[in-house]
Amino acid sequence: MPARWRYILQEAVVGLRRNLLMTAAVILSVAVSLTLLGASLLLRDQVQLATDEWSGKIEVSIFLCDGRQCPDISSEQQAGLEEALRGDPLVADVFYESKADAYERFKERFKNQEELLATVTPDALPASFRVKLEDPEQFAVVASRFDAWPGVEEIIDQREVLQEVFRVIDLVQLGAIVIAVIQLIAASVLIANTIRVAAFARRDQVAIMKLVGASNWYIRLPFVLEGVLGGLVGAVVAWSLLLIGVPWVTSRLAERISFTPFIGLQEAVFVAPWLFLTGVLIAAISSVISLRRFLDV
Amino acid sequence: MITLRNITKTYKKGEKGEVIALQDISLEVVKGEFVFIVGPSGSGKSTFMKLLTHEEQPDAGEVYVAGKNLGTLKPWKVPLLRREIGYVFQDFKLLPNKNVSENVAFALEVIGKPRLVINKRVPEVLDLVGLAEKAEAMPNELSGGQQQRVSIARAFVNAPRIMLCDEPTGNLDPSTSVGIMKLLDRINRTGTTVVMATHDQHIVDSMRRRVVELENGVIVRDQSRGVYGYAG
Repeated sequence: MPARWRYILQEAVVGLRRNLLMTAAVILSVAVSLTLLGASLLLRDQVQLATDEWSGKIEVSIFLCDGRQCPDISSEQQAGLEEALRGDPLVADVFYESKADAYERFKERFKNQEELLATVTPDALPASFRVKLEDPEQFAVVASRFDAWPGVEEIIDQREVLQEVFRVIDLVQLGAIVIAVIQLIAASVLIANTIRVAAFARRDQVAIMKLVGASNWYIRLPFVLEGVLGGLVGAVVAWSLLLIGVPWVTSRLAERISFTPFIGLQEAVFVAPWLFLTGVLIAAISSVISLRRFLDV
Repeated sequence: MITLRNITKTYKKGEKGEVIALQDISLEVVKGEFVFIVGPSGSGKSTFMKLLTHEEQPDAGEVYVAGKNLGTLKPWKVPLLRREIGYVFQDFKLLPNKNVSENVAFALEVIGKPRLVINKRVPEVLDLVGLAEKAEAMPNELSGGQQQRVSIARAFVNAPRIMLCDEPTGNLDPSTSVGIMKLLDRINRTGTTVVMATHDQHIVDSMRRRVVELENGVIVRDQSRGVYGYAG
């Protein structure tokens, strides 16, 4: 490693060790904010996972009899139903999902929950017509029109099922992000202060470096690196917390709630780039800004 | 090498208004010269030196150092300018945690010189200042004169074109000061321009070089082979 890079890295590490308490504070602060950030991102992932693909696209799900609760729907009944649906002025669009399709979709959604998958056979899920309405408020009218139709097992208002839940989750997510942002601001102020203290402690050395003609970046870099290293370690801590915490929480939840799939280790792993990027960026920016005035040539 | 043209520098001093540190000064120093800047405190000596190092900017006039106009110098080029100038101060300014060799090497390390170059130049310059055997000593083990030599070694190790010295003998006794001046003289003979601000009458008188005297911000005397005070 060329002499100048070794110098820069050495100085950064020495600086961190010298001020262990402040370094610990920085790492803690960054870790908390990034954990919250990661948690809110994962919450969004969870919502997206829990939201089945039809949500948002359609308002009415019409499940067709398959011999369990009512006799199997015949092909003429199905054709007749489809025609009636398409012809209805309140209906905007109709999609058909076969039993096979439904099973594939179920397997994909619940891929993290093997026990649940094991109990469901390919035949267990009914076929359905997924209906988009011209006016979503007209669910009751449409439902009453078709629920007596032969071969229809059940009609479900898609919106009603999830609306309340999502409203709550949105609020929680918003709360998490607000706290995360506040903590990030706190972390960056802490980093800025730590760097300034470090630079002040080494002002004699810095003065000589300026005199001798070291470039501004060469003087700044060890300090910026100190900040960045703190941000990086904080990100690692946050990531570890999420890697351990998230699968633990979701596996507990999955035991009790079986109608939604849950995120797991995989999603927690993939949130890493966001954590590291944010940690490093925040640290670098606050370090550079805090050094600006101090190192004016 | 150094040119000052119609330089005026004023400092604001609270409610009392302004203090004129330098008033319409013009000066030219040619390559290889040895110039003493003398004058009482408040005469503008330190302001003068600060203008040369780009620590201060003049309110009027231009400063040229090593061919560069300091007024139009871009901020990122200032370090490059500083590499061509060696600075020596009254208080030595050595790093207490590094030994002699490391202190001198520092000047080369932070401007990115390769280890090979550093390992060659540092012993050379320590030899020049007469401190070859003290290479491993720490600054607090050295006498004032020795510390100043280290400082000079550090200033000179990158072969600057100009040496700027601000009261280099200020903290030293007379006999040690002579040794330091001999060293600076040797450095001057290699072709390096030397500009030295000083109070030290004896040294100025004994060396008989160009003397520029400042008084109240004005050059009152510019004499080649001059002495400290007026001599007859």
